[in-house]
Parts: sequence; structure tokens; C-alpha cells
Amino acid sequence: MAKPKVSSDWLAGCSGCHMSLLDMDERIAQVVALVDLRSTPITDFKHPDESGVDVGILEGGINNSSNEEVALRMRSHCKILVALGDCAVFGGVPAMRNFFTIEESLRRAYIETESTDESGKIPNDPELCVPTKVRALQDVVPVDVFVPGCPPDADTIFYVLSELGQGRMPDLKGDKLAWN
Amino acid sequence: MATITINGNTLEVPDGTTVLRAAQAAGIDIPTLCDHPHLTPYGGCRMCLVEVEGARTLQPSCTLPVNNNMVIKTDTKKVLDARKFVLTLIFSERNHFCPYCQVSGGDCELQNAAYAEGMTHWPLQPNYQPYPMDASHPYIILENNRCILCRRCVRACGELIGNYTLGFEERGAKSILVADTGVPLGESTCVSCGSCVQVCPTGAVIDRWSAYRGRETQVDITNTVCVGCSVGCKVNVLTRDNSLVRIEGDWEAEMNEGVICEVGRFNPMKEKCERIATPLVRKNGTLKAATWDEALNTITAQLKPIAGKSSDGVAALISTRQPVEAIYNFKQLFADKLGSEMVTTTEEGAFTADSAVFADSLNKEFEGSLKDLQSAGAVMVFGADLVKHHQVTGFFIKRKLASGTNLLIVDNQENGLARLANKVIKASKGTKTDPLKAIMAAVVKLGLAKAMTPIKATDLDSLAASTGLITDDYLDAAYVLTSAENPVIVYESGSELVTLKELADVVNAKLISVKGEANSLAASQLHLDKALKVNGHKAVFFAVGDDEASQKTVKEFEKVPFKVVLATYSSALTSVADVVLPSTNWLEQDGHYLSLEGKLQEAKQAIKPAEGAWSTVQTMNALADKLGVKLAGDWTKELHKRVSVVEISK
Repeated sequence: MAKPKVSSDWLAGCSGCHMSLLDMDERIAQVVALVDLRSTPITDFKHPDESGVDVGILEGGINNSSNEEVALRMRSHCKILVALGDCAVFGGVPAMRNFFTIEESLRRAYIETESTDESGKIPNDPELCVPTKVRALQDVVPVDVFVPGCPPDADTIFYVLSELGQGRMPDLKGDKLAWN
Repeated sequence: MATITINGNTLEVPDGTTVLRAAQAAGIDIPTLCDHPHLTPYGGCRMCLVEVEGARTLQPSCTLPVNNNMVIKTDTKKVLDARKFVLTLIFSERNHFCPYCQVSGGDCELQNAAYAEGMTHWPLQPNYQPYPMDASHPYIILENNRCILCRRCVRACGELIGNYTLGFEERGAKSILVADTGVPLGESTCVSCGSCVQVCPTGAVIDRWSAYRGRETQVDITNTVCVGCSVGCKVNVLTRDNSLVRIEGDWEAEMNEGVICEVGRFNPMKEKCERIATPLVRKNGTLKAATWDEALNTITAQLKPIAGKSSDGVAALISTRQPVEAIYNFKQLFADKLGSEMVTTTEEGAFTADSAVFADSLNKEFEGSLKDLQSAGAVMVFGADLVKHHQVTGFFIKRKLASGTNLLIVDNQENGLARLANKVIKASKGTKTDPLKAIMAAVVKLGLAKAMTPIKATDLDSLAASTGLITDDYLDAAYVLTSAENPVIVYESGSELVTLKELADVVNAKLISVKGEANSLAASQLHLDKALKVNGHKAVFFAVGDDEASQKTVKEFEKVPFKVVLATYSSALTSVADVVLPSTNWLEQDGHYLSLEGKLQEAKQAIKPAEGAWSTVQTMNALADKLGVKLAGDWTKELHKRVSVVEISK
């Protein structure tokens, strides 16, 4: 049996979950022995194979039209979709802007920040993606495996990848289940 | 008794027991959020739903009393699904994002419940509706966004404290926790006892100071005694890496059952004055850092020549916040070994001397215990403001008022409990004993006297007039006091004791005096209760510790040529001293305390003291060595030598 192909990408997150993935240190070699690691934001290939992968991993919530596109592409190119980390699972820290309007958040970010002078303006180039309310991954595409944590522990990520690599669905409980 | 079956186990439980308590007693776990063992069942969170045979729907086990032959199941799929659904709804209501909540990671009962159900995500998305947050209080933050509407805080505020500050405004999803009629908590009737913080299952009621300083799993917990006053509440002191995180009431404590006041919970957290780090000795007019040896030698050189002089040698006073061991050693060194007559405490017996003399005259104990307040149908408070001092005693009274306990306040001053009283007797003239006599006369007039008294009903008019009040006031007061079972009189000790005891006998009431600081009673038992008078003394030794001295005491102190202060913090006192000895504070020392109801309790060290600070016992022993005397003896025996106002536990 061929090794399962795995792709990952990041959306509205801080990339901390991918850092936590790297935090598994030498065990990454064990993971590579089990799976065929394809595209990730921290390797050369940036997009999942056109022919599809077995496992797609997404970090971060969905906070604009570009995130939506990446999520939809990953969903249509993978069999099992993993939501990695609190932002992907719940919306996480970026979702705090949902308590304000998008206009308020943009004004705060581009005009009212203490380090911005009078020239601050909200970018409006038509080529830019459109900001939206922040949503958890499951509110945009169906998700098969939820791995909460901010970030999830390297041990948890190793467990999830090694289970998926061996054709099993991970079951997070006890020490492996933590939302913070 | 009722016979019930839970998950196939048959149990015998007393009638009236709730299904939840029966299950807990049998070791069957039913998760709950709104339930608290010290609060009345509320049935608000629906986490504890169980299946009862014959019942149409799932039932909340916390509010469901057992019935004979009831068959209950707590682990069916229907129950487990409902539990998860309840959690799903709770998480969808407000902002329960964990990563930036200080209770996340073990201290949040909501998060723990979700973990226990194996929830990896929220099936419903949150509604992102912001709720108000109230940060107007110096210690407590009300964060409605984290609230699950369990109302534990509301019940604690009402049922345990009797304060009824917290309540809910609006209905359903819009419900918000408010203080009083919706005023900021900082401007409300809140008494800052912090019970709401202690019972909150989530991060909705937060203690500002301890937030992010350490979670339950990361802290060390020391079970000890609060030394804020003579009530002697048991507390749990939470520390992390040898620094204070927070203080909580001990739910297991027989006397206070988890309740403490602002003095016990928050005062120790307040920013403190500067700590004294090393001994200081005055050289050429200024205080200079010195070694312990140098400091003790300086003191010894001054004390040795005046040893044995009873009236113009050394005067010595010690704080009643010190442990019995320290007070005993102190007394031994200064009174017994150095022969000084002027050995007393910071309180100078103000709250104990008269009662002690009275106990001596009766030759027996005459006071009851705080437990008597639990069954009191009427309480009279005489001259003690239980809102300012001994607050937990005040809570014990306030929480009884809702169930119909009468409250009578007899006080010439403003009294914090007056607004809750059925009757207030505030004399505008006359002596302090006049109102007591007038109440007695009124009781006699009502024909309700339970003991003989020389005071006659016909005295009432003149006695009432002598206090500037009318006869009806005293008839009302007498009625408030005598129309219920088991009256209790709480008083602050004074010279009126003979009359007060007479009144207590006439209405068959228990007497409780609030005394003063943590070890007032112990100091009194050791005869350290005289007024401080400095008259030709050559030296003074003041073991103030982590206490504060009154201005009057400081003035007396300043009169003496050679002044030694044993203190934890810099103060006006240390700045005028000739030698300053650094001392541990209450969290840094072991020792015993004698509570106002005569209970001997052990305080344990929760924090290791700084290198230079010594406990008073250590200092006394070192000083005794230098002076060539030996401190020995058994303080436990000494406590029992004098007749006490209240029975002292062994």
C-alpha cells in the first residue's frame, strides 16, 4: 500500500500550530516514514496535488475570501480534512473581531493604531481579498478530524499524524484533549 | 428512608435526599455546573439530567428528591447525548473561547466538563453577542461574556453572606449579572468578601489580583487560620514559587464553612509598606543596617543593667496578631525573667480585660459559641459594628434574617447592621448601661422575664427618658428580643458586663463577645491585658510584627529613651526606634491562635520568610540567650490557668 499523501496549509492563524508540528523534533522522521508529505506552507510545494491527497490539514479560521478559496480547494482535493488548532476548530483569537463590525476592525488596524500617522488608510485595491466575519473551518467546509489546542501539543500532532498515517482515525481524549 | 436504584445499584437513602446527593454518596459521578455543596439546589444548568423510570422526560437530579422504589439511570445514551447537547448550547451562548481566559487549563468547571464528555469542537457556532463587563470593583471583575447563568454567585451572596448584592437582570439569553439595581459593583452594597469569586465555575467572576498567577494544579495549598481578627476562620492559602497567589475560605472548616471576609481574602494581597530586610541600629542619629548579633548585643547592653526593675526598667508590648507561642515567650522574657510590670499587648486588653475580670468574679465561663447563631431566633448586637470588624460574625447574622430571625441593635454609635435591624436602640444620652436596664424593664413589663431582676416594670418610663428615647422603643426592643426562640447577644466587651449578663439571664440569651484581634483571648489568658503607661521606663520593646500600632501607643512609645521595635514593615514606629528587628509576617510563621469562641487552632507557614526575617519566638530565644536566661514552660497549660470567658478547647 502506498503511503498516504498529506498536504497542509494555513489560513487565519498565527502559524503556531505548524511550529508546534515542527516541535515534534526527530519524530518528524517517523512521520515521514509513515506518510508522503506533499505541499505545506513551510516546504517547496505550496498546493496540494491536482490528483488529490489523502489527508488535508488546515490551520487557522476563515476570515476572508482568500481563506475560503484555500479551504474549498483543500476540501475538494483531500479525503480526510483535519482542523488543526483552536482557530480552525473554534475561530480562535481572530474570532474576537466578530464582536465588532468589520469596518471597526479595519479602522482600528489601519488608521487608529498608535504607530500609524495621518497617511494611514484602509487598503481597497480590487485585487485584494475581501474580509469577512471569522468562522471556524467547519462553518465553511465539512471537517473530519478536530484537533483543538492553542497550539495543539507536538505530542498530540504526532499522535494524530501517526494514526492517520496508519489508516486509523485519531480519537482525542484525556491528555490529548486540550482547548487552550 | 427510601430505597432507590441507580444504574442497577440499590441504595437506602434518607427521605428528602436529592438524586444527585444520593448518587454522589454512592460514588456515582453525575456532572454538574450550577450545583454547589454549600448552596441550595437550583437546577439551572441541566448538566445533571438523568433518566427516571416512568418519568416522561429527563429529570435534573440536583432538584429531584428521591422517591421510594425510584429507578434512575445516569449513563444511558439518551442521558449522555443530552449532556453533550446542554454543553453545546452553553458554549454557543457567549464568549467561551478558552485561550485568553485565566481559568482555562484546569480551573474552569465548564472546560473540564467538556473534556470529560470528549468534546473536540463546538457543534454550534457562538453568536458573538457582546455582554457588559464590570471592572469597577477594586478586587472583583464581573465578566458577563463568560457567564453560564448558574447563579452560584447570586446564591452565595444571599445564602452565605446575607448581602443580596448580586442578582440577574433581563431574561433568557439576555440575562446579565448585576449588582444591586444595576449599579457598578464598585459602587454597590458589595462587602468585598469574594465568595462569588470562590464559587464561580467559569471565568465570569474573577479575582483581579490572582488572575494568571497560577492555576489550581500549579499552586501549593496551605490550610491555615486567618489572623485578621478573633473569629479564626480557616483559610486555604494558595502559593506558587513561594509567593502568594490568593486566599480562599476552607469549605471543610466547621466554623466558617468556606466563608471569609475582605480582611481575610483581599487585604493580605494589597500593596504593603516596605519590608524590613535586615536589623537596623541607630548610630550617630541615623538607622544603619546591622547584623542580628550586633542588634541583639545593643539591646542586651541596654536591658542588662535595668533587669529586675519592675516599674522603671523595661516596658514591653506585643501585638495580639502574634501566635500564642510568641506571646508566651515574650511574657516569660520580659515579665518573668526581666521582672517588668509593664508587659502588655497592642490592644491593652480593651476588648478582653473587663470580660476576664467578670469571668474571674463568676469563677466560670459564661459565653456561648458562634454555632449558637445558627439556631438563634433573635440576635441583639450591643456596641459591636459587625460590618466593619469581625465581619464573618455579621454574615452569620445577616444570612439568618431572611428566614425570620429578629435583629436588635443597641449602639450609641452608627452601626452597619442597623439598616437591617427590626429595631435600633440608639440612645442620645445617659450611660451605656441605661438602654440595657430599660430593655430589662420592658421585658419585665411584658411579663416575659425568665429570671429574677431587681429592675421593675415601673422603672421603664424613667429609664427610657434617661436615654432620650420613649417607652415604646424599649417595648419594641423587648418584643424583638423575646418573641423568638434561642436569643443570642453579641457584644463588644466593656464595663457594662454585669448589666449585660443580667439582661442575658432575663431573656435567657447566650452571650458572645467579639473580642479584638486574632489572639486577644490568648493574651488575656496570659494576663497581658493592662493599659500601657510609660512612667520613667528606661527602655521599651515593641513586638509589633505585621500589625499596626495606634497613634496613642506610638506617642507613649516615643517617651522612652531606648526603643526597640520588632516589625515586618517600615512605619512611623520603626523610624523613631533605636533598634529595629525584622520579623516574619503571618504567612511566614507557624503558631497557634485562640479564637473568640475558645478554639485553639494551628496556623501553618505558607511562605518561606526572607533570609533576614526571624519569627518572634526565634528572636525571643536569641535575646534570652544573650541575656543569660532560659525560656521554658508549657503555654498550653498556661492558657488554662486563668478562668476564661468561654470554654477553651484543649
